[in-house]
Amino acid sequence: MTGLIDVGRTSDAVYFDGATSAHHDVTLELNDYAVVIFDLTGELIDQWPYLRLKHLSAPAHVFRIGLRKSDNLARLEITDQDMAHAIDVACPDIDRTGASASKARRRAIALSFLAAVSLFAVAFYGVPVLADRLAQYVPLGIERRLGSAADMQVRAMLDKGPRERPFECGEATTEQTGRAAFQKLMARLQAAGDLKLPLRAAVIRREEANAIALPGGHVYVFKGLIDQAENIDEVAGVIAHELGHVANRDGTRAIMQATGLSLIFGILLGDFVGGGAVVLASESLLKSAYSREAESRADDYAVRTMQQAGGDPRSLARFLGRIAGKARTRSIFVDHPATPDRVSRINAIAPPQSAGATLLDAAEWRALKRICAGYP
Amino acid sequence: MASAETGSIAAAASSAARHARFIGPSKEYWRIAVRGAVLLMATLGLYRFWLATDIRRFLWANTEIGGESLEYSGTALELLQGFLFAVALVLPVYTAFTITVLDLGAFGSFLSTSAVLLLVFMSQYGIFLARRYRLTRTVFRGLRFHQSGSGILYSICAVWWWGWTVLTLGFAYPFTRAALERFKMKHTWYGDLQGRFEGSGWRLFIRGFLMWLLVLVPLLATAGALLSINWSAVMTALRGGGDVVQRVEKASPGFLGQLGFGIVAFAVTLAMVALLLPAFHAMVMRWWIGGIRFGTIVVTSHLRTRDVYFAYLRFIGLLIAFIIVLMIGVFFGLVFLGAFTQDGSLLSEFLTVAMMVGTYVVFMLGLITLYNAVVTLSVWRLTADSIELSDPQALGHVKAAGVASSPLGEGIADVLNLGGI
Repeated sequence: MTGLIDVGRTSDAVYFDGATSAHHDVTLELNDYAVVIFDLTGELIDQWPYLRLKHLSAPAHVFRIGLRKSDNLARLEITDQDMAHAIDVACPDIDRTGASASKARRRAIALSFLAAVSLFAVAFYGVPVLADRLAQYVPLGIERRLGSAADMQVRAMLDKGPRERPFECGEATTEQTGRAAFQKLMARLQAAGDLKLPLRAAVIRREEANAIALPGGHVYVFKGLIDQAENIDEVAGVIAHELGHVANRDGTRAIMQATGLSLIFGILLGDFVGGGAVVLASESLLKSAYSREAESRADDYAVRTMQQAGGDPRSLARFLGRIAGKARTRSIFVDHPATPDRVSRINAIAPPQSAGATLLDAAEWRALKRICAGYP
Repeated sequence: MASAETGSIAAAASSAARHARFIGPSKEYWRIAVRGAVLLMATLGLYRFWLATDIRRFLWANTEIGGESLEYSGTALELLQGFLFAVALVLPVYTAFTITVLDLGAFGSFLSTSAVLLLVFMSQYGIFLARRYRLTRTVFRGLRFHQSGSGILYSICAVWWWGWTVLTLGFAYPFTRAALERFKMKHTWYGDLQGRFEGSGWRLFIRGFLMWLLVLVPLLATAGALLSINWSAVMTALRGGGDVVQRVEKASPGFLGQLGFGIVAFAVTLAMVALLLPAFHAMVMRWWIGGIRFGTIVVTSHLRTRDVYFAYLRFIGLLIAFIIVLMIGVFFGLVFLGAFTQDGSLLSEFLTVAMMVGTYVVFMLGLITLYNAVVTLSVWRLTADSIELSDPQALGHVKAAGVASSPLGEGIADVLNLGGI
């Protein structure tokens, strides 16, 4: 160790004592354990042990050192390159070439890269699981409030009819029997699905063959769905799918997933210029993936519920196949699985069964078909 | 002979003592910036703490004031730590904000309004604390700078003044800058030497008034033209086929003329901004430097507007070259994609999206890296080289004061996306 130290080497340097800003021209001398600092008259100023030295940032031609673990900002600035080299050799912690600094830097970069990868993994695997768990603990009161906020927006978006026409079917006198049939159907499905959450289901005046579920148990069945269905089991299958979303609390789950994602991508990652695009693409990609999973689970629920209620579980698949056609467009940004995939999945898990009129009798089915007949 | 030599050396020394200069090689800065941009992409932004530290170390170390260079003693780990603290601090506000936005009750909207306001205050608070962090990590001649004063007071002051600037369409900008610089410099210390700011808002106002008018008049003309159009009628008329132009013209008379005038006026606004930006940049810089005082030391800057224009021109030239290279890259990427993946497959869709996002990110990072490496570095260099101090001897008699502050402010500014060098 001592063999490496160039004992006795001297040079000029500039010294700042850390107490005042005065510039001191000094002479340095190396002994076997420290850099000794003398003023120009040869008076001893201080001794800095090699083990306490740290190398500090400075312009390229200056070797600047200070003391480690000290509040004192005293500095030595050495322009004599031979002296700088001698101190570098004598002091194990100083590396002027920056070799060990760049090693530490590479480790930091590797760790940041791993952190980014693991945050992605958390977003992909962890966030849905966490949202599943947490959604069970969201009180129903909060979910209902969320639901009514969403409900207001959905109504404003979907209700395009004249103001005097009620948006929900079943209000007019001619619609009353249809409404009773709808309520009976809902009660049977709810019992079959063992759904404990309170439901607010209604048929609404929209021509599309669709149904939606919102947080807090709002289920809207579109008029077009009932119009295009060939039997009661087809309607029941779609409604059972929506009840699956309610039972799985998918609306609340989606909100929690979105919050989790925007936290990971919005705050921790992507804080650089242009990072916004990465954030946007990753978020919509992951959201679609979560949503496709939720759709498959709701299909599973629909099959179980229809079996329990004594309906034909395959009617959902038939209906989907008929209204969506056979186009097999898969995309990473679509939030439903491709229809042929859904159809074959449902048929795979559901036993074949004849479409029966067990859910509603023929008269009730006819009444349900006319639930929106009160207004043109 | 000997005395003449000593005299000229003394003169050179005293000239060095009165001036500042920047001695950093541009090549080194380019290396830091380009490597930083690549690593930012690879780590999705987590590298920003190291990049900011590298850039500051380089800029500080190579800036000499009166012959002595500055030193930046902060570390990337401190920035990371400050960021994590700030996440813990901002997270509750953020969560409350997200929840209340979903809940549209009256109380919810009140809460979310106050959360937004709180974030505005917090960002100014963060800016002030971040300045404190940077100052206390700035070492000069063995002493550190520090900053006193209350961050809360500053954030109130800043929100008040910036509010006026926005409301008056920039009229209040000079007074905002002057007031905030006075606040900041009054609380800035080099050891026990207190700073202050003597730049006058009125002086900046007079120098910049013409520029302000040249941008504002076409901007107001744009707004006037667009506001005179009856937009709801136009939107209704746009629906459906047939002779759309005639229907629109009937719904809002003079529509095409007004729209055309608005577009031309907006183009003029943009052209004015582009033409005047370098002059504005140089003018504000000169004014700001010229207002700085430390004890008896008066600072002046002779930054030349022409030089700043050259920096911007070089930036534009390099930007065009960069865009051409990027377009060639995208072309080859598309050729590759067409040749090796099946059209309409999930893989090809994924690769297309990845390439679009990647191109955008590369473009934006390239843009900002070019701007920093050309404009920011040039203006820093030109400004440093243009600075003159009135009483440099005073710098030799300062006593130590102040302690290193926490990096929390940098973290807050980072969390709220306000980070800078």
